[in-house]
Amino acid sequence: MKKILAIALALVMIVALAAPAYAADNKAVKVWVAENVVDFTKAQIADFQAAHPEYADFVVTVEPVGEGDAASNVLTDLDAAADIFGFPQDQLARLVAANSLLELDEEVAKQVAAENDAGSVAAATLGDLMYAYPMTSDNGYFLYYDKSVVSDPSTLEGILAGCEAAGKSFYYDLRSGWYQPAFFFGAGCTLTYDTDSEGAYTGCNIDYASDKGVGAMKALVALVKSPAFVNGSSMSSATNVGAIIDGTWDAGAVKETFGDNYACAKLPTVEINGEAKQLSGFGGFKLLGVKPQTDDDKLAFCDALAYYLASGEVQLARYNAVGWGPSNLEAKASEAVQADEALSALGAQLAFTIPQGQYPGEYWGLAEGLGDDIIAGKYADADDAALLAALQTFQAACEAAK
Amino acid sequence: MISRFFRALGKDLHEIGLTFAEGSWATRLSFLIMGFGQLVRGQLVRGLTMLGLEGGILFYLISFGWNYLSDILTLGTVETHKEGRKTVYGDNSFLILLYGLLTIVIIAALIFLWRVNVRQNREAELRLKRGKRLPTNREDLASLLDKNFDKTLLALPVFGIFVFTVLPIIFMICIAFTNYDVNHQPPAKLFTWVGLSNFKELFGIGGEGFGSTFFYVLGWTLVWAFFATFLTYFLGMAVAIMINKKGIKLKKLWRTILVMTIAVPQFVSLLYVGKMFAADGLVNGLLLKWGWIQTAIPFWQNATYARILIILINLWIGIPYTMLIVTGLLMNIPAELYESARIDGANAFQTFRKITLPYMLFVTGPFLLTQFIGNLNNFNVIFLLNQGNPKSMSLAKNAGSTDLLVTWLYKMTINDSNYKIAAVIGIMVFLVTAVISLVVYNTMPSVKDEEGFQ
Repeated sequence: MKKILAIALALVMIVALAAPAYAADNKAVKVWVAENVVDFTKAQIADFQAAHPEYADFVVTVEPVGEGDAASNVLTDLDAAADIFGFPQDQLARLVAANSLLELDEEVAKQVAAENDAGSVAAATLGDLMYAYPMTSDNGYFLYYDKSVVSDPSTLEGILAGCEAAGKSFYYDLRSGWYQPAFFFGAGCTLTYDTDSEGAYTGCNIDYASDKGVGAMKALVALVKSPAFVNGSSMSSATNVGAIIDGTWDAGAVKETFGDNYACAKLPTVEINGEAKQLSGFGGFKLLGVKPQTDDDKLAFCDALAYYLASGEVQLARYNAVGWGPSNLEAKASEAVQADEALSALGAQLAFTIPQGQYPGEYWGLAEGLGDDIIAGKYADADDAALLAALQTFQAACEAAK
Repeated sequence: MISRFFRALGKDLHEIGLTFAEGSWATRLSFLIMGFGQLVRGQLVRGLTMLGLEGGILFYLISFGWNYLSDILTLGTVETHKEGRKTVYGDNSFLILLYGLLTIVIIAALIFLWRVNVRQNREAELRLKRGKRLPTNREDLASLLDKNFDKTLLALPVFGIFVFTVLPIIFMICIAFTNYDVNHQPPAKLFTWVGLSNFKELFGIGGEGFGSTFFYVLGWTLVWAFFATFLTYFLGMAVAIMINKKGIKLKKLWRTILVMTIAVPQFVSLLYVGKMFAADGLVNGLLLKWGWIQTAIPFWQNATYARILIILINLWIGIPYTMLIVTGLLMNIPAELYESARIDGANAFQTFRKITLPYMLFVTGPFLLTQFIGNLNNFNVIFLLNQGNPKSMSLAKNAGSTDLLVTWLYKMTINDSNYKIAAVIGIMVFLVTAVISLVVYNTMPSVKDEEGFQ
């Protein structure tokens, strides 16, 4: 027995002693960006270092990590996480609550706020602190349709009629907490959460359990009854599409399917409580964050590099390289961006949306619960009182989720 | 059991005292400097090993382990803070807990080694007193390849199991008693001990607790495991018996067709079948085309449909496995039994109930149990088919109507970083499987009556 222990303990000690011996090199900077912009980012960083010889001794590695994964990975292991990483703005509160983001310097924050659109700035701010650099303003959804199927994309009724007549499907993901509010917000409801600058939820503002909410519910229930309706928002797994509510990331796939009949528009109007209401939704943004730093030099470099990578010039270059819609006001106003069909449809839609703030994890599950019930036909024959009761349950659960 | 432990401890202490009282000065010094007595007696290998281990462990404790162990009651007190825009990290609760536990285990190992050391001294002295010689260094080393070869062989696996299984399990159990969640994530935030409050939260009904969701998920987990196990078992047996029947043609063809489902990786077939039942999937598409329905059937959005469908799809995956196993066993049942039953005038159902079924249950009892336990934790089928959906507004913490405890736990850690509750659920999964295994195993005919069918 003692021999076993001898070997075992010796190995345990080697493992234990070796583990904390790892020390971060304070000249090594790691950057995480989505796979399709890795090469672009590498080139931009090389340009930046060439233009700023004082930073030439930093060694930057760029790794492909998708935005959604980046936030999770940072939360799982902050030590191993990148120093600069791109993430979707809905992860902001989670990251800040875990102290995984370094707030912007006050002066820089003012400058960034002045250069980017108001929605993206709000999305990067918690309480009165700005925690990230806006990188894109294109995370929203709008309508893609087949011109030969849908002749009137301005109303939901028109879209459904077109799809039904052609035997095609209309895709909308009413199960998702991201797409679902299009109807409720369109009807005039609100659902936002308040956070403090520490990333903790302090309040919930919701009025779904109201006449407006019931109107939106009725519209959703009616939508589900249409034979053309299919729940979904992913072009790649959709079949027989006549129209789909989706975002810019699927533009390529949609173009391929629709060919010459490819067309985009803002979301349609829908009849709610006897009035034509414009569907609303969320405007979303991609942000660039810096991990809290322990070394002053590295901190200065990370700040400068992140600012550069999110600057108007690079945003425009990024649009030209991979088509990400910029949040920088100057870049937005450029000719190339103005001429983009999908981006201009999104731009038209963004006028009707609210910038997506922070929502607790449980909200997304609750929205799916409401969506599942609607799709399953639970409210197919429900009267107003039953719909209101369902919305009251939803509202109470959302309020409790904060 | 407890009294036996204390008796053994008393005996041990007595022997230690005796070793000290009757021992030479070298033995007595070995109490402090391990291996000293062995070295004095010329047992270099034993002496140096002991001395080296003691030195190594003490060095580890002083230079490293103690820093973590001293904080284990609070899991750290120094908060991460900012100096200007620079971040200065404070204590890391995660590492304190991990290395603190490791240090405790190493201290236990040191005590054990010390005891071994004392005993070696005692034995050596007794041998010398009786006029026998001590094993030489060469003999000590050779015994590792001969008399003690089992220990040499087992050293690596035991070490591996300890580091990769035992330590993480102890760590996970400890997490259940802390507030390690999204708001307390090291290294930037501290977490600390909170006693039983996570258990209260999980079991509490009303207020802050979400006991109703937990018992709902637990209930479905058990229902699912029951149907998934026994339906596949009995239907698989039925298929095997049918194919085995005399007069059935093309036996091999039927078996091959059924086994095809095993040939395709489950990942592929489950994802594909899951998609088949989607609103725009094959099934709804055909039903709509034939005009049998006007709008798509919400297979995955209606809790009842989803549950039934999952059990049915699992049948399609599970039946071929059972069929393969049962086919072999059926051929094992002595034909005379059936013959004499037939002569006595028993019909097919009677022979099945009196001969086939008891034999099957006897032989496959342990297999059924492992199947049941496996189904309690059947992550693949649930997660690949519909991710535990549909959701419901009345369930807390993003649980879905077809979530098993294990898929719920997965979502909790991956999406919500709620490690504390996930750890509690992990413990619950262990308790459920342990209780069921123990109870069922001890009442199984194959265990109680081992010779029943020989």
